[in-house]
Amino acid sequence: MSRDVFIAGAAIQPFGKHRGTATEELGYLAVSRLMATAGLEAGLVDIGFGGSVYGGSLLAQRVLQRVGISGQPVFTVENACASGASAVNLAWQAVASGSVDCAIAFGAENLSSFGGGTLPLTTNDIEIAQGMVMPAAYAMRAQRYLHDWGADVESLTNVSVKNRRNGADNPRAHFQKEVTSEDVENSRPVADPLRLLHCCPNSDGAAAVVLCSEQVAARLPGPHVRVAASVVRSGRFSTGYRDMTWPEITERAAGAAYAQSGFGPDDLDLVELHDAFAIAELLHAEALGIADRGKAHAAVANGEFDRDGRVAVSPSGGLLSRGHPVGATGVAQICESYWQLTKQAGALQVSDARIALTHVTGGGIFGVDNGACAVHILSNR
Amino acid sequence: MTNSFAPPTGGAVGAENFLTDGVRAVLRVTRCHNCAGMWFPPRDQCSTCASRDVTEELTSSSGIAYASSVVRIGPPRFQAPYVLAYVDIDGVRVLAHVDSSEALPPGTPVELRLATIGADEDGPVLSYAVAPIMKGEAR
Repeated sequence: MSRDVFIAGAAIQPFGKHRGTATEELGYLAVSRLMATAGLEAGLVDIGFGGSVYGGSLLAQRVLQRVGISGQPVFTVENACASGASAVNLAWQAVASGSVDCAIAFGAENLSSFGGGTLPLTTNDIEIAQGMVMPAAYAMRAQRYLHDWGADVESLTNVSVKNRRNGADNPRAHFQKEVTSEDVENSRPVADPLRLLHCCPNSDGAAAVVLCSEQVAARLPGPHVRVAASVVRSGRFSTGYRDMTWPEITERAAGAAYAQSGFGPDDLDLVELHDAFAIAELLHAEALGIADRGKAHAAVANGEFDRDGRVAVSPSGGLLSRGHPVGATGVAQICESYWQLTKQAGALQVSDARIALTHVTGGGIFGVDNGACAVHILSNR
Repeated sequence: MTNSFAPPTGGAVGAENFLTDGVRAVLRVTRCHNCAGMWFPPRDQCSTCASRDVTEELTSSSGIAYASSVVRIGPPRFQAPYVLAYVDIDGVRVLAHVDSSEALPPGTPVELRLATIGADEDGPVLSYAVAPIMKGEAR
């Protein structure tokens, strides 16, 4: 048995290039902002989780001790791009089980310290030894998807144009400027068929949420939304033949989240999806069940995923606009969805938004679609 | 056919995972007799069912490209642009460099060869790689 868990506050330290600001400082700024806006006192927090890939040992302690959360159990969580959302999942487990009443979860990352280019993949891995980089992994999925479903590069470009249009209104996004199809198709090639504007930027930033019981939520001044599902799954390892245009890790995580929540893909008003590369929106939208197999490219072209479409996909601008401070991304998606469901999303607002799904997946290790995937469903009732 | 194949000499990326006759390459793979799982690189225990009833086999040197890309930004040792492909060979899917200046269309027949895939401070970096087989070239 588990009890209902609520999110009663959210904060983002805006994403972008913050070269001189260390990960722990970014995390501190997000957590400090969260506690101020949510009216949360340190003594109310029973447990803390911090997600980061490159933040180093004891990042969560280094961040949380600065706002008086010191002495409580605190954990630093690493799960590649799903690190932040994994921290939220652990906080959810702690509250849902009844072992604590109030938990903080944050994600923080500084990628500028690595300089430009593709992210360093440091694991001892046979594919990395052969020259694999993340854009190449998605580029090959893109080539195969376009081949299998008779789509063209414009299908990818449409995703970038939509998400950059959405992000133009987001003051927390790394890129707050629309791009045209021509901009995308004239941008620098990265890994064919992907060009630079088909890829999310490496960013710096942090995000934080408070998860709590209904009793604690009632004591806090801000609005709260219910966590209807919180799921993390790992990749299923195989070196045999497999369909790389079907991210089965997303299908399993989403399937579990739908079962946990009682909601289905048709119930969703908005989805914040892991569009690290434009092709990812097509692959994951199909695996999440918000488009038929091989049809997500048509859904994007027809405007079905626009902010005022059938289901808004990445109304905050997605990773393509917000940027991707890897450990922070999953928490930021949950923050953006919290603001949507509490009618605080301003220019990003999806009208009558009641149910939101967030999805992050990542981790470039060989033999799996992705190392880890997290799906959350939030409901404002 | 594989009598003349031996581990690469002089250092190669993944040297423990393939054999070569100096031109072609074959992969060392593991077959699980409990669940039929196929694994590359080889291993002592099946990663699907955990069975230790496994044997090591050698693949042929013929495969089919599943997907491919020209990588234009990558680690310095591979001197971008370079071409990568996922290739299906006798039950395993392997990522390898492609001896070509263009991405391979899905379904392209390839041969696995010993090739230079990059260069570092010690000189050329050798490994297995694939080359597209043109019509009439199949051996």
